[in-house]
Amino acid sequence: MITFEGAAKLYPDGTVAVDDLNLTVETGQTTVFVGPSGSGKTTSLRMVNRMVEPTGGTVLIDGEDVRRRDPAELRRSIGYVIQQAGLFPHRTVRDNIATVPLLLGWGRARARARAAELMELVGLEPSQAKRYPHQLSGGQQQRVGVARALAADPPILLMDEPFSAVDPVVRAGLQDELLRLQRELRKTIVFVTHDIDEAVRLGDRIAVFRPGGRLAQYDGPERLLAEPCDAFVESFVGYDRGVRRLSFFPARELSLREDVVFEDATGADRAAEAVRDKNEPWALVVSADRLPLGWAGAAQLDRAPAGTALGALDLASYGHTFNVATDSLRAALDAAVLSPAGRAVGVDTDGRVVGVVSQEDLGTALWSVTA
Amino acid sequence: MVGDRVISDSWDWIVRVTDWGVTNWSHPGEPDRGILPRLLQHMRLSYLSILLGLAVALPMGLACARWKRLYPPVLTGVNVLYAVPSIALFFLMLPYTGFSDWTAIVPLALYTLVILLPNVVDGLRQVPDHVRQAAVAMGFGQLRRLVQVEVPVAVPVIIAGLRVASVATISMVSVASLVGLGGLGQLILSDGFRRQFDAPIVVGIVLTVVLALVTDAVLVLAQRLLTPWSRRGGGGPSRADRAAAVPSGTAATVGGPRTADTAGTSSPGGEAIESGSGSTGEKERTWRS
Repeated sequence: MITFEGAAKLYPDGTVAVDDLNLTVETGQTTVFVGPSGSGKTTSLRMVNRMVEPTGGTVLIDGEDVRRRDPAELRRSIGYVIQQAGLFPHRTVRDNIATVPLLLGWGRARARARAAELMELVGLEPSQAKRYPHQLSGGQQQRVGVARALAADPPILLMDEPFSAVDPVVRAGLQDELLRLQRELRKTIVFVTHDIDEAVRLGDRIAVFRPGGRLAQYDGPERLLAEPCDAFVESFVGYDRGVRRLSFFPARELSLREDVVFEDATGADRAAEAVRDKNEPWALVVSADRLPLGWAGAAQLDRAPAGTALGALDLASYGHTFNVATDSLRAALDAAVLSPAGRAVGVDTDGRVVGVVSQEDLGTALWSVTA
Repeated sequence: MVGDRVISDSWDWIVRVTDWGVTNWSHPGEPDRGILPRLLQHMRLSYLSILLGLAVALPMGLACARWKRLYPPVLTGVNVLYAVPSIALFFLMLPYTGFSDWTAIVPLALYTLVILLPNVVDGLRQVPDHVRQAAVAMGFGQLRRLVQVEVPVAVPVIIAGLRVASVATISMVSVASLVGLGGLGQLILSDGFRRQFDAPIVVGIVLTVVLALVTDAVLVLAQRLLTPWSRRGGGGPSRADRAAAVPSGTAATVGGPRTADTAGTSSPGGEAIESGSGSTGEKERTWRS
């Protein structure tokens, strides 16, 4: 547990970087500090390992004032991941990762064995052990940075905009990896970013900082999106917070319809009749093993010559599907919005159709969960 | 026919010079005479000067990188020192060091500073900030950070400076023959110029150039061995930040072809412009010999 008690940083030129910060970072959780530049989030982070000394208040780790610890020794017990990775260019990947164990006097053999373990943990190939940082891509360098921070198995991990220098696709991959690692390791992570989406994605708790180094709001991501405490937080969180908040509600609560789903061997006339009875404009055609094939419109079904099988029709694309078991309402809504039929196709983990849900039904469901 | 004449004359000349070189290579039992002792003296004087220069430039550069305000006055001082003609400095040394090697080594070492100091400082300055910050955050103490991170990362730039400085020093040692030292310079001055005889002059020049080339090659090899991490064609993040400046004219020419992966070198003139002594042009950049 990390506690900021009235922590402040005032520079001699009068700049206030952090102003009276009171906040508790829970053990084993990911806490994200987010805010525009100049809001003091990085300064606050660096107070934890004494790279910045507060000019007022205190920072405590498990109740102990960090100022009572020797800075170098304190830092070796806290993992740190920096923007651009900050890898040592003259050391191999393996020796970069082994940095802190070597500083702690583990001995070379043990430190290298540990480095090999960590390379596997963060998804690096053993063949990359003897490479130099410049031979790696940005995403790989960042993985090495994370591995290096974890090398001595510190209980606390500080991450200062670690993924901001890589492209969006690589960033999303690294975020997934971090979520996976955190499920395994349960470290106390403090993560600094200026990207609210990254904050919402990674944080168990999110501290929004405003310019002038003041804490604006400290809440869980779902609550932050639902109830921004003031106009600043609301504008920082973004105008589509309502839709983004849907990420926190599982799609498995939705009731899906199965009665408009037909196998491709079914006759078009039978499907036309069924659809007409239910006053449904679309029928979803699936293969014998229930993989989605496409949509057939009611009018198209009526026009089809007698005896035609559904599989022979020219079907409209089913768009992208959502996984009923793992996806959120946001994914379901997105699938419905993008579908030509205005209906989302829900599938199981094997990609087999479970059922479909229309925008109207989704709307009702959204109303009930978010109200 | 005229062409044949020229060729055979040239050939005779080459044979005569080579013959002189072989005959005078060494006189066993007479350590003061012959080419070999002079070559060895040349090597001793230049290498000791370079090593002494590096030994002074390193702590000086570390101090200048640490206390930034120190750098402009120190650099100006080094540049001014470089403006003192070498002959004058050699003679000034005589009362203190007599005809010992130090009379040549001390001034030559001082001259190397004009190249080595800016390279040490630039080398340390181009250590990317995120690398330095990461070192702090990992829990390196100040001294450890310097020795294990900052100096190693600065090595390519420092070696680039060493290459220019060593080639320049090797060519300048000859001037010390005016005070009875000077290695191969003595072939040029005493045996050649005073006796109006071209063979020793040519041998002196050729051996000086060969020595410079070999030394440079050794330094290139040393860099490859010391910094395998910087051997590459493309530019990395740290490489892009590296200030590359033009090496001084003469030295670069004597130094032979420079490989593409050589790190940037600070020219002696470049920094001086910044620190305010305006009279730095191509003239001052050129090492005299």
